Amino acid sequence: MGALGKPIILMVAMYVFLKFVLPYIPGSAPLPSSLIFLYLILTASGIVIYETLSGESKDAFWGPIQRFLTGENIGGLQALRYGVLILFPLLVGWQTYGSTATSDLPPTESRTIHPAPPGEYTGLVNPVPKTPENIMQGKGFYAAFCSPCHGGNFDGKGPAARGFIPAPANFADPTTIAMLQESYLFWRIKKGGVGLPIEGAPWKSAMPRWELELPDEWIWKIIMGEYDGAHQSPRTWE
Amino acid sequence: MGRINPHGRGSSGHCRQGVRVKLHTENEDSMKPANHAVKRVLWAGLATIAALVMGGGSLSFAQESVSVRAAIVTGGLPVDDPNAAVWTSAIPATFPMSPQVHWPDRIQEVTVKDVIVRALHDDQQVAFLLEYSDPTQDPDDGAALEFMVGDKKAHFAHGQPMLQVEGGPVNIWFWKHKDDKAVDMSAKGFGTLKPQAHQDVKAKAAYANGTWKIVFSRPLSTDHPDEDVQITPGEFISIAFAVWDGRKDGAGELVEKGSQKAVSSWWYFRADAPPDYSSYMYAAIAAALALGFQFVLIRKLKKGQ
Repeated sequence: MGALGKPIILMVAMYVFLKFVLPYIPGSAPLPSSLIFLYLILTASGIVIYETLSGESKDAFWGPIQRFLTGENIGGLQALRYGVLILFPLLVGWQTYGSTATSDLPPTESRTIHPAPPGEYTGLVNPVPKTPENIMQGKGFYAAFCSPCHGGNFDGKGPAARGFIPAPANFADPTTIAMLQESYLFWRIKKGGVGLPIEGAPWKSAMPRWELELPDEWIWKIIMGEYDGAHQSPRTWE
Repeated sequence: MGRINPHGRGSSGHCRQGVRVKLHTENEDSMKPANHAVKRVLWAGLATIAALVMGGGSLSFAQESVSVRAAIVTGGLPVDDPNAAVWTSAIPATFPMSPQVHWPDRIQEVTVKDVIVRALHDDQQVAFLLEYSDPTQDPDDGAALEFMVGDKKAHFAHGQPMLQVEGGPVNIWFWKHKDDKAVDMSAKGFGTLKPQAHQDVKAKAAYANGTWKIVFSRPLSTDHPDEDVQITPGEFISIAFAVWDGRKDGAGELVEKGSQKAVSSWWYFRADAPPDYSSYMYAAIAAALALGFQFVLIRKLKKGQ
C-alpha cells in the first residue's frame, strides 16, 4: 500500500459510515449533508497533518499528487488528468452560481416541536385522581373540544385538521405525548399556540388558548383521557 | 464510480476488498507504482464530489415548500377581469383550508376545502386571482387575503397577541359578493378589525360553473407602511386566506359568518424581481480564477522539479 492508499480508504469508509451506517444505530438519525461534509473535511485535514509530520511521509504523500498534476510519467492517466483539470474550474463555477443565484424557494423556517415550557409548568402533578370515571369524562371533553383537529382516533387527523400547518399533534405517535410529562401537556393546552416561545413559531399554531374557556380540572381530565385513548403513558424520570 | 458504492450495501470492509482486487489487476498490468497512488487520489476526489452531490441533493429536497409567486407581465395587468387569458400564464398554487376553530365562535365544517391562487404584477401593481368551488352563488359569499405588515411576525388569526413574542399587525383585503368591492382593513388582535381610512385595494369577482374567481389588486407599495403590506419584488412575504360561503340554514340564518369561516395557515408570496444574470458572471469569474490557479500551480510544480 502506498502512502495514499490508506487515506483514501479512510475517507471512503468515513463517508459510508456517516451516510449509511450511523443513521441505523438506535437512537441516531440521518446527518445533514452539511455535517457530513464538515466531518469529511475534518478527516481530510487530520490525514494531511498526519502524512506531513515527517519529511519522508510528506514526499510519499505529495509526490504522486504532484506527478499527476504536472502530467510527468503518468502514461495512460493523461486523459484523466485533463478531465480533472477541466472539471475543477467547472465545479468552482457551478458552486459559485449555486451560492449567488436568487433562490425561488421560500425561506426555510425551523420550528421546535416541543420547546421548553415556562418554569412554573415543569413538574406539576395531575391533581385529578386517575379513576375510570375521570378518564371517561376526560375522553368526553376530548371528543367535544380536541377531536375536531386531533381526531377521534387521537391520530391528529380530525376533520378540521387539513388546512393547518403545523399539523395537529398525533398522540398515537410515540414522539409526541409519550415523550412528554403531564405538566407539559397542561401548559400546551392552557396557553395554546399563542403561548409558544419564538422557536415554536406561535404565529402559525391554530391551537386554542384553552385557559380562557376551560377550567383547569377539565384540562387535567382531558390529559388523562388523551393518554388512555392514545394508548400511551406520560414520561416519567424513574 | 462502482467502488464508492453509493447505495451503501457494503460495509467499509467490503470497500477495502474492492480496492485490493483492483490493485491486484493493476500490478498485473505492470504499471508504475506511482500510477497506483495517482489512481487512488483520483478515486478519492470522485468520492468527495459524489458525496457533495448526494448531500446537496438531499438538502434541496428538505427545503421544498409551497408559495404563490407573481410573475411580471408587461401587456397590462388584468385587474378588472377574473377570466382574462393572461391568468393562464400565472402558475396556480393550491392551499388547503380548515374550519376556523382557533377562537370562538368556532365552526366545525365549511364549504370550501381548497383555494387556488395565482398572482401577477407589472412592477407598479399586483393582482391576485383567488379561485374556489362554491356550489351556490349567495349575496353573503366573501373572501379575504391576509398579510403580515412590517418585520414582526403576526399570528394568522387576525394578528392576535402572542404571550412570549411581540407580534405585528395584519392587513386584510376583504371582498363580499353583495358589495362587489374590496375593503382594505387592519387588525392587531380580536375585536380590532376595522376598515382603514385609506382604501387602496380593488376587487372584481365572477361566478360561473360553481366556481368563484376574485381578483384583488393594489399598488405594490403604499404611503401607509404601518397599516398596509409593502410588496418588494424579489422578497417573500407571508400570506393567508379566508372564505365565507354565504349560504343559509333551514331557519334562514347564515352558516358561515364572522369568525365562522374557512381559513388557511400562513404561506409565502413573492412578486418576482426582474431577471438577474449577475450570478452567471460571478460563476464565469470564479471558473476563470480556478483555471488560472491551476495554471500557476502546475507551472510552479514543473519548475520546482
